[in-house]
Amino acid sequence: MSATDVRMRGDARGSATAGSRPERANALTDQDRLALLRYMLMMRLSEERTLKLYKQGKIPGSFYDGCGQEAIGVGAAFALAPEDRLCILHRDLGAHFVRGLTPDRYMANYMGRSGGVTGGKDGNMHFGERELGCVGMVSMLPDMALVASGLALAFKMRGERRVAMTFFGEGSTANGQWHEAMNMAGVQRLPVVFMLENNQFAYSTPNELEFAVDPIERARTYGFEGITVDGNDVEAVFGAAARAADRARDGGGPTLIECRTMRMHGHGAHDDMSYVPEEMLAEWRDRDPIELHAERLAAEGFDQDEIERLRAAVSELVESCAERAVASPMPDPETAEHGVFADRWEPLGDGQAPWSRWDDRDPGHGPHADGGAGSSNGHGDLGIAA
Amino acid sequence: MSGGTITRLEPSTPRGGGESAAASELTYLEAISDALRTEMRRDETVFCLGEDIGAFGGAFKVTDGFIEEFGEARVLDTPLAENAIIGTAVGAAIEGMRPVCEMQFADFISCGFDQLVNVAGKMHYRQGLAVPIVVRLPSGGGFSGGPFHSQNPEAWFMQAPGLKVVAPATAADAKGLLVSAIRDPNPVCFLEHKGLYRSVKGEVPAGEHTVPIGAARRVREGEEMTVIAYGSAVLLAEQAAEELGGSIEVLDLRTLVPLDRDAVLAAARKTGKVLIAHEATASAGVGAEVAALISERAFEDLDAPVRRLCAADVPIPFSPPLEQRVLPQLDDMKEALDELARY
Amino acid sequence: MSSLATRTEVVMPQMGVSVSEGTIASWLVSVGDRVDADEAICEVTTDKIDVEIPCPGAGVLEEIVVEEGETVEVGTVIAIVGGGAAPDAERATEADPPGETGPRETPEAGEIDRSAYHSPVVRRIADEHGIELGEVEGRGVGGRIRKADLLAHIDADQPRGNGHARTLHSESPYRPEPEPGSSPATAEPAGSPDELIGATRREPMAPMRKAIAEHMVASRRTAAHCTTVVEADFGAVARARAGRKEALARRGVPLTYLAYVARAAIEGLERHPILNASIDGNEIVHHEDVNLGIAVALDRGLVVPVIRRAQRLSVEGLAAEIAELAARARGGELTPDDVAGGTFTITNPGQFGAVIATPIINQPQVGILDLEAIVRRPVVVADQRGEESIAVRPMSYLCMSWDHRALDGAEAARFLGFVRARIEAGVEAEVER
Repeated sequence: MSATDVRMRGDARGSATAGSRPERANALTDQDRLALLRYMLMMRLSEERTLKLYKQGKIPGSFYDGCGQEAIGVGAAFALAPEDRLCILHRDLGAHFVRGLTPDRYMANYMGRSGGVTGGKDGNMHFGERELGCVGMVSMLPDMALVASGLALAFKMRGERRVAMTFFGEGSTANGQWHEAMNMAGVQRLPVVFMLENNQFAYSTPNELEFAVDPIERARTYGFEGITVDGNDVEAVFGAAARAADRARDGGGPTLIECRTMRMHGHGAHDDMSYVPEEMLAEWRDRDPIELHAERLAAEGFDQDEIERLRAAVSELVESCAERAVASPMPDPETAEHGVFADRWEPLGDGQAPWSRWDDRDPGHGPHADGGAGSSNGHGDLGIAA
Repeated sequence: MSGGTITRLEPSTPRGGGESAAASELTYLEAISDALRTEMRRDETVFCLGEDIGAFGGAFKVTDGFIEEFGEARVLDTPLAENAIIGTAVGAAIEGMRPVCEMQFADFISCGFDQLVNVAGKMHYRQGLAVPIVVRLPSGGGFSGGPFHSQNPEAWFMQAPGLKVVAPATAADAKGLLVSAIRDPNPVCFLEHKGLYRSVKGEVPAGEHTVPIGAARRVREGEEMTVIAYGSAVLLAEQAAEELGGSIEVLDLRTLVPLDRDAVLAAARKTGKVLIAHEATASAGVGAEVAALISERAFEDLDAPVRRLCAADVPIPFSPPLEQRVLPQLDDMKEALDELARY
Repeated sequence: MSSLATRTEVVMPQMGVSVSEGTIASWLVSVGDRVDADEAICEVTTDKIDVEIPCPGAGVLEEIVVEEGETVEVGTVIAIVGGGAAPDAERATEADPPGETGPRETPEAGEIDRSAYHSPVVRRIADEHGIELGEVEGRGVGGRIRKADLLAHIDADQPRGNGHARTLHSESPYRPEPEPGSSPATAEPAGSPDELIGATRREPMAPMRKAIAEHMVASRRTAAHCTTVVEADFGAVARARAGRKEALARRGVPLTYLAYVARAAIEGLERHPILNASIDGNEIVHHEDVNLGIAVALDRGLVVPVIRRAQRLSVEGLAAEIAELAARARGGELTPDDVAGGTFTITNPGQFGAVIATPIINQPQVGILDLEAIVRRPVVVADQRGEESIAVRPMSYLCMSWDHRALDGAEAARFLGFVRARIEAGVEAEVER
């Protein structure tokens, strides 16, 4: 299979963005590019299926998704090695899937079932799979930017070539903790990648009421690089994240990556988005990240049937996961009082790292001095032949 | 744990806590330094972070000389950002480090409350991730610190499930509880009373010394009435009991979460007359919790209404006569005990 | 300020909120030197900081109280400056604040009489020792009887027991204790009876009656009671019993129908273990042994002694055990162990002629089987060829209350069906034992 270089594209408004070619071997194989499509489809179809469960009354509370933002979580997480760590936001289900989570655990979590990632202790997207190196988010945004910085601080103190990555929306950049995190990461030159998802609205508040100066311009003032990429171009997001992760591993400190995108659904299922002009939605609808990527693959000669088979396989997977999730029992009420305190500390596990770059790595010589970088290839992890 | 590349600096001449003897007389503050130094030498994942703790040695000099021994990576001077201190500590702890955060004054925890309460406190319950951090909180008044340098915020943490709360009253307990807090896999709020820093001295075992979290300490035995206290109020109770000369039992809670309920109930049942004393404000405080526990579980052993001696529900004022009026004084303690004895 | 203020005391300052003492590093002026206000006169070192002390007032340094190298507490006078201006206003803080001073006292006059108010512990101890509190002298405030006064009173009369160590329920102060104690009868209430009822006599519930009442109400509140009834033909049992009754009677064992029902029930429990269980919170506890409770009616009330490991006993063995337990119950010889640990209960009000009942489950068990009176009734019977006719048979209803939390009706019916089948077979299998 021939390697295909990452291509950068302009953002949705057509303005030029960072588009230099990768300096390193941040190349994607054909398999990698299909995997990107697969994870985006997994996210889209899982969220669509879960929205149905919500409308069927199977989900307490509300429902939040990342429709239109699939390229960001998937592209960014795809750049990470097994031993890297993630704090994922509620718009980035795809990042969980890249790291190895299966959709049934996500759906069960939404339904408050015992089979959910948190066993019913927390809802919706407030989860992180410990075994896969993820720390679950909290509702206060962007609190995880500091937690990710702390993960990175541990890597730095131990001299490990590892990266922490976290996601936040542009709304979060107005909060004081965002400043505290950027400043701390800048002062300590922490190996952390900050993924800023500018999806145009903080709930209903548009960019112009959120900040006077574009947050990406602030990166420089914290002492590190900030770049803007097309958040609907999965390969552009991937390329920027891969370069930022390499820079972090090399001791170059943090990077702020702004991904310009559009939240195509309401803030939650309870939000009809009446504040968004219809033309704006129409413009972004034409730039759907999944269709953009699929069209690009087709244009570059990928077998159309193979892409269709991929869609069908993902659809089947999501359906079987939904069945498994619905069959998962409710948690035993007794467990409500369990687990407030820990008996012991246990390490995070390594995540799945499907990018082919990690395929050939000798497990004994990874950045993990204890050889923690084990199986890294996640292809076919869910029995989907890509 | 990954085999990290932390290079341990050769220890320089130990400062403060002489370790040659099996036990030595240390101040409360020296005992805290000794605990930190002992744990940092024992375990290379232990590190300190906070404002002005490095070259300056901390606002109260707890980490004086640490940067020379342990290096600036492990005695991390941070920007003035309390959420950043606690938030990065949470991340580092999840990744296997044992951070000890210093709030310059306990009062400033309000600026780091979100990370402490919402992230650290709830992490294990929600996600099954242990967060072994210690937050050191120099607390307490009596020195004209005013409304922002004198508070005793422990009840805030008792309202936030997932946080352990300790408040030592002696030098030996200060060391033993801090060592236990560092080794505990949970977030621990360590309330160190500034008034005790240099005024309290006592024998402190050198080297390994732990005091279990969750166990109260009987300071003094008595039959007539019981004072339940912690922190600076323990000293007040001891002194009042000495001066009054009655048969007064004094119980030092030492840990507020988890509360040693058995010890509280035993001490209450023994005499049937209970005074709960602390320097923090009264309403919905530790005293309220302890009094509720006693009335629920030891009602039929009570011989007098449970009484509290606490700070008035006001911000701690600056001017000495005002502050003295607000904070419990020795005379207040004696008066309360006298009334309880006569009841 | 007063014109007398010609001497100014220089005190050890507090250099930081936690600093309690300071050391004179060096004096910058000597006794007899003229000093201006705010002129540095000495250097003080603390463990936090070194600082020069500005003189609080102008004048001549009259005395150095604390020499170089000495450490003193904050607030100690370290030097005296005389013959100059008044001390600065800072010293005024030592003056009494305006308004009240000293301890806040409540007036002693008009003390309230508290001799009739009794604290919880005093009431409890008096109850436990049967003491009339009017006889006890109170030495507390307002003549209140303190615990110490009461204990002194008791000590004067009798050695003090350990009664006051009693603890309340471990989870809730409002729940009764696990073993209802022998609390004395409550006083007769003063309220007048409804006149329409006519003359009434009130008496306090005896402790046993009270315990039963609490237990039964608690069970009704706890379990999801259902009662299932089957009808059984006791003809085969009657024939089997007739054959062996005499022989057993000679050994002093009354062979009752109850023993047969017990044997059938035990076999049923072994096949339907969900009924040989108890509920603990959200867990169902399955028991290996059948510890069979047998309800025995006494004049004072009902007791339920338990036959332990009843599955090892034959009909005859069960009959002997039942007879012995009943005798001991009537003789008041049961120990607490005899009535504890049951896993299933059988009650037999039928001996008094009752034909149907809905018994209350003995918590925390999940089932109670009720044997009613065996009466001769016309029933439809079929011969081996299936020809039906009406016959007179000794019939009885087996009524079982069961807890719907633990099982469903089908299981209960299957169990009863099995028991009926064993009874109608005369419970023959036990012969092998």
